[in-house]
Amino acid sequence: MTKSGKRHRGPKDDHHHPAPPSDVEVRARALEELLRDKGLVDESFIDAVVSAYENDIGPMNGARVVARAWIDPAYRGRLLANGTAAIAELGYGGPEGDHMVVVENTPDVHNVVVCTLCSCYPWPVLGLPPTWYKSAAYRSRLVREPRVVLREMGLDLPERVEIRVWDSSAEIRYLVLPERPAGTEGLTEEELATRVTRDAMIGTARA
Amino acid sequence: MTVERRAGASVAVGAEVAQMSGPAALPRRNGELVFEAPWQGRVFGLALGVVQHLGLPWREFQQRLIAEIDTRPDAPYYDCWVAALERLVVEHGVAARAELATAERTVRRALAE
Repeated sequence: MTKSGKRHRGPKDDHHHPAPPSDVEVRARALEELLRDKGLVDESFIDAVVSAYENDIGPMNGARVVARAWIDPAYRGRLLANGTAAIAELGYGGPEGDHMVVVENTPDVHNVVVCTLCSCYPWPVLGLPPTWYKSAAYRSRLVREPRVVLREMGLDLPERVEIRVWDSSAEIRYLVLPERPAGTEGLTEEELATRVTRDAMIGTARA
Repeated sequence: MTVERRAGASVAVGAEVAQMSGPAALPRRNGELVFEAPWQGRVFGLALGVVQHLGLPWREFQQRLIAEIDTRPDAPYYDCWVAALERLVVEHGVAARAELATAERTVRRALAE
């Protein structure tokens, strides 16, 4: 959960006296009060920044790509034809994402991404990889028994669904385009983006 | 890009902050930012807010952060962050050192009460 730096202590903390703040904490508070007095920053901005960065910075980029593809069939076509170029249209790219391939989930096919060799991962769209992505167990078992591994991770796919495992490399990074969830027809692109999780874009969960 | 978080607060989330590398790279766990105390999160957001408000490129802050880390490689990351923000504020003429010192005394006094 976020430790978003609430200024006010919860009721629990009133029952004991916390340690006095360190010098650096005093300096940080002084900076904040001074800059707030000067009108350079407001509290809600700070709260919003902390919350946004703690949770969303990496995967948010990929989520925007997915949401755009869900609402714009032409963009979806470009994304599947040339992932790198279509992702660059939204302003994302650079090292670790300069050859992106996007694979699309359908009712019959589920895609999931691994890097069996090391931990290649599309940083510009997904941020830093989760620890389990780098684990020996995930890397070695996903190719061999994808259905079992996905079930252990909470995704129980029907037997009729074909599972395709994509092995990332230094040259090619994959992004899964999840299926758009049912009942989201009325949502805006931004609302849709909030539904897309990092794990759905790796393929270990559904959107 | 813009993230709508709560009423009235819209935050530009720039990749140049999230993807700082080398010694200036943000402390993370499982890819998500780690703040060891609430004040670290607040001073993180404060730096972004000030840089944005002044219309400066992020490297104005980043270069000062790297310089602080170079000077004190063993200091905790967000200690260097605070020092870098103090320097940026002073060097861009937002506040004088003396004002910072006064603000610190005010905070200490408020805490002592």
